Amino acid sequence: MKSLILKDLYNIIHNSKSMLFILLFFAVVFLPSSGIQGYIYTCAILCSMMIVTTLSFDERSDWMSYALVMPVSRRDLAAGKYIVLFLFSSIGVLFGLIVGIIGSFIHKSVGLLPENLSEIPLPMAALTALAFSTVFGSISIPLTLKFGAEKGRILVFASFFIPVAICYIIYRLLAALGIAITGSSLAILLYCSPAAAIVWNYFMFQISCFILSKKEF
Amino acid sequence: MTDAILQIENLTRQYPGFLLDHISFSIPKGSIMGLIGENGAGKSTTIKAALNLIKRDEGKVTFWGQDLSLSEGLKEDIGVVFDGINFYETLTPAKVGNISGAAYKQWDSSLYHNYLQRFQLPADKEIKNFSKGMKTKLCIAAALSHDPKLLILDEATSGLDPVIRDDILDVFLEFVQDENHSILMSSHISSDLEKIADYITFIHQGKVLFCKSKDELRYRYGIIHCKTEVFHTIDPSEILAFRKDDYQWNVLTSDKERARRKYKNAVIDDASIDDILLLYVKGVQQK
Repeated sequence: MKSLILKDLYNIIHNSKSMLFILLFFAVVFLPSSGIQGYIYTCAILCSMMIVTTLSFDERSDWMSYALVMPVSRRDLAAGKYIVLFLFSSIGVLFGLIVGIIGSFIHKSVGLLPENLSEIPLPMAALTALAFSTVFGSISIPLTLKFGAEKGRILVFASFFIPVAICYIIYRLLAALGIAITGSSLAILLYCSPAAAIVWNYFMFQISCFILSKKEF
Repeated sequence: MTDAILQIENLTRQYPGFLLDHISFSIPKGSIMGLIGENGAGKSTTIKAALNLIKRDEGKVTFWGQDLSLSEGLKEDIGVVFDGINFYETLTPAKVGNISGAAYKQWDSSLYHNYLQRFQLPADKEIKNFSKGMKTKLCIAAALSHDPKLLILDEATSGLDPVIRDDILDVFLEFVQDENHSILMSSHISSDLEKIADYITFIHQGKVLFCKSKDELRYRYGIIHCKTEVFHTIDPSEILAFRKDDYQWNVLTSDKERARRKYKNAVIDDASIDDILLLYVKGVQQK
């Protein structure tokens, strides 16, 4: 398991400069309009998407067939990807938090950042960002394993938009029925999201294990 | 064969347009088994099925008498080199060592670095800058540095120049100096197998045509070159395969000394593995 994680980290470090540039660019673009909270979400989701890049590297080097001749099981392969996803998302959250705080001070000093952008406390924003990003990332793992990195990448975009679209439709339906989502009910939903993310990730992990158990190399 | 490190029995796998048909052979301790056959004959499929990388429709594969899928720990004792490198191109040999070291309990870091030095592989250079030969050497270094007892090589020497192939074959010969070590080596380069293999398993169109010791092939098999009149006098039971050239018949026989005694009007040469392969593949096989 350690070797699988180490391999992904080594592989992705090579791409870290371009990701760092993107995240800093987004800090300049999004921090004034979205605040620290929005920036944390952006960083977490962008970093979680790197899991698809690691799967693409694996596919290009035919890594999995080699990994399976090492003392590694198919279940280990899936578990390794979910641990790496958690690491990427955590790095994204941490980066968003640190750069967001520093950036907001700079923006405030030059008068760009609006006051009271969000009512979500920062620790909660970090935790929910971790939950959302792992949920999005976790969908991409079985999709990429099943359809390959090339097709998977297109489906991954769909997987990012589908949950958002579903949430939006539910929101509109509730609004049409006269049920208003208040700040407190939204807060309850947000506080529940980490637990929901754990359940969702476990479900996706089991699907990934099933796909890998059937996969031939 | 007794003391088999790897035993494959009736390994079968059906694909659309290809059948790996009841493959059976075993590798004794301290020996090198060459798996030979034309491209697409089923060598790699056999190896992948043995390693559980693809599913089997039928058959049993045991390593030291145990099923690999039931004893993951057996993989500690198996080193595998595929055709091509399985590490992403931005990694370096040093990082490959760290990754492999984290996977194997038996990993010997100093041995790995000794191999890197011996193969003149720079530890901190990215793999993408390596030649094909250097990549193969890196794979071999990684495969040998966790003290495996069985080395499985799937076309590991293909695409390499003769000098590098010779270096690598020497490493394999050193490896089998330990009588507990064995090698399964698939290749379509028969000269490599002729140099190091103890046994040859010939796979053709998904079937094992024979599994024999190399010495038996070398000392007993022969090619009868003859005219049509002589060809018709040859006892069909002595013919394994034959092929007609422009001016003569070439007949593969499993007893060249007897043929020399019987067919005075024919020229009987020793048969190389290439000759045997060509006659089986391109000639007519006798039932």
